[in-house]
Amino acid sequence: MRAGEPLRGGGRAFSRREALLIGLGASASLLLAGCTPAGRPPATSAVIPPIGPRESVTLTYWSWLEGLQDVCDIWNARNPRVQVRTAWIPGGTVGGYSKLHAALAAGGGPDIAQIEMLNLPEFILQGSLVDLAQYGAHDVSDRYDQAIWSQVQFLDGVYGIPQDSGPVGFYYRADRLEAVGAEPPRTWDEWAQIAKAIREDDADSYLECVPSADGTPFISYCQQAGARWFEPQGDEWLVSMTDDATLSVARFFDRAIDDDLVDTRFDVFSPAWFAAAADGRIAAATAASWADRTIEGVRDGAGKWRVAPMQTWGDRGFGSSYLGGSTAAVMTSSAHPQEAFDFVTWMTTDPEAIDAQIEHCGIGWSTSRDHIGTSREKPSEFFSGQEYNREVFLPAASEQNTDWVWPPIMVRTLAMVADAFRAKLSAGVPLVDSIAAAERRTVQAFRDAGLDARRRS
Amino acid sequence: MGGRYAAQRRAPWVLMAPFLALFALTFVAPIAMAIWQSFVAVDREGLFGEAGATSRFAGLDNYARALSAGFVASIGRILLFAVVQVPVMIVLATALALLLQSAAARWPQFFRVSYFLPYGVPGVIATILWSFLYVPGLSPIVDVASALGIDVDFLAPDTVLWSIANIVTWTYTGYNMLIIVAQLSAIPKDVYEAARIDGAGAWRVVTSIQLPLIRPALVLATVFSLIGTLQLFAEPQIMQDVANAIDSEYTPNLAAYTNAFTYNDYGVASAQATLIALVTFALSFLFLRLTREKAS
Repeated sequence: MRAGEPLRGGGRAFSRREALLIGLGASASLLLAGCTPAGRPPATSAVIPPIGPRESVTLTYWSWLEGLQDVCDIWNARNPRVQVRTAWIPGGTVGGYSKLHAALAAGGGPDIAQIEMLNLPEFILQGSLVDLAQYGAHDVSDRYDQAIWSQVQFLDGVYGIPQDSGPVGFYYRADRLEAVGAEPPRTWDEWAQIAKAIREDDADSYLECVPSADGTPFISYCQQAGARWFEPQGDEWLVSMTDDATLSVARFFDRAIDDDLVDTRFDVFSPAWFAAAADGRIAAATAASWADRTIEGVRDGAGKWRVAPMQTWGDRGFGSSYLGGSTAAVMTSSAHPQEAFDFVTWMTTDPEAIDAQIEHCGIGWSTSRDHIGTSREKPSEFFSGQEYNREVFLPAASEQNTDWVWPPIMVRTLAMVADAFRAKLSAGVPLVDSIAAAERRTVQAFRDAGLDARRRS
Repeated sequence: MGGRYAAQRRAPWVLMAPFLALFALTFVAPIAMAIWQSFVAVDREGLFGEAGATSRFAGLDNYARALSAGFVASIGRILLFAVVQVPVMIVLATALALLLQSAAARWPQFFRVSYFLPYGVPGVIATILWSFLYVPGLSPIVDVASALGIDVDFLAPDTVLWSIANIVTWTYTGYNMLIIVAQLSAIPKDVYEAARIDGAGAWRVVTSIQLPLIRPALVLATVFSLIGTLQLFAEPQIMQDVANAIDSEYTPNLAAYTNAFTYNDYGVASAQATLIALVTFALSFLFLRLTREKAS
């Protein structure tokens, strides 16, 4: 049969053109993978000197914060020689990081990028971040909150400037807790008792919901309990996801889910959550300081909500924990790291810049040691006239597990923890079992990335 | 010797050069690179590879890692999807095509365009639209069902695959119908006339004339659908936002995407992409071989 003969007749061999088409179609998936070279050595670049007195530069800054250009414009007005232009990227894990990795691998990329604390090491591994210690980062460390500064230091270097953090507190509807005669919980055990009381009070209501496919809250609670999943020792990573602290947190949530103490039908701050919170079917949320803006979106919630310090694991662990938090990191693609460093230091320590970031971008907790933000020092109408930022989050910001280290393969472990919750909710697999399996797979993930790791015994 | 003959031999290559250049640049080179990468692994020194990173030939290591439990499960899932969804869609497309080509059809042009229209909606948009009909609290279907006392959850772990199948069927049935319609219109009028003279009824015309003669179109539509199914990506990726049951390795392509762009593990991603291509080749040729043998 001639290739390309019109389709006609019954039994026959497929034509060459058909075979080619099938081949093309089947190969399309290969195109996906063939874009990027693997493995470049990390930055060992020489220090780039600052620009001369008559030169000027324009820096690019990739971030998913809305309104960031307004903040940069304050700087731009005062520094005509160093102009900063922002470009919006999707939120990190929903596409922003993929875009960054791809741009950097292709030899492009911005001068500055927003990178979350937990993703910082993964960018170090790719050799994408400038060690800012070369440009004076150690000299400005005393302007920052020490707990958060510990999260950007690796190997005696500084790989990002902390932009915001997320100390955790307990947001609650005062009327719903009063209805069951409860005060805000001091410990997670009290939290479980209140959750039970609310279930008994009204069959449609829950104290909180647990996310079904997000590992970060669970990890935050383990951090609070004093867990230390990753410990660098020499050139090797020691992994320990089955220590007492972690297993007790896993057991606690296994029980809470088994006893129907938490709502598992929707995720926190989803449309369904807002509907439930407005009706009082959700009474509380253990969430980071930056959730205040979100919770203010609950319909008719003004004056009903309050904030209390995060419940603790009794005599174990820390008063609070971090949930989220970003850095402004200078990329190896930058030709002007000194100017970029000067700008991000200004952005994260100058009171006017911090206030502007709160107003225009709604950033999380300020990382500056001296300024939490002018608007955050006032009592809040929504939160029942409470000065919750001073009362709750200011102390929470320093009650942190500073031994916690994020590893360069965190996205993988995060996915494993998310899968652990999926398996718990859809198939009833205990979290303690899934976490033990995740520990083995995490050690393997390090080795797959070409790094040395073993289980801490 | 004949310079003219040499010029004649050169001409097709000169004329094809623009195509060949682009084809090599955008198709052959990336595929060759992906296959090469599937055999490369990176070794790193130090905690973050700060003391150096070296690429090395890894043999089949990446392939061994590519065949993780999740990836194998995703292939099984997608084969199940293909076994159910592709026949349903092809039968539906054939039925619509036969109806539109039948003498009794009213406004065949209008319906042909209507059935084809979903194909014009980009897959991402279609998935977002359908998501609104799946998410409890937003979906009128779920509301009506629960008002009638029926508890439906389109996004549960055991139903979400079929919710995706529904979107795919909705999108591609009209497209496959058009392939079949084209083949049906190519059947010469005199064949129908002969059948009528021999006293064949409408049903007999379908089973003895139309179906055997559109067989090549059906085979081709099925093979293309199989290939499309094995590369399912956009629908589950978008539905992740509303369905927690969809994990990062839900379909083979989603797994390769996650490895490449979330984990920066291009070696394993390339190995998975190669495996997907091999499975697709194998299945397509197997299907063509089976249908060919049956016919002869």
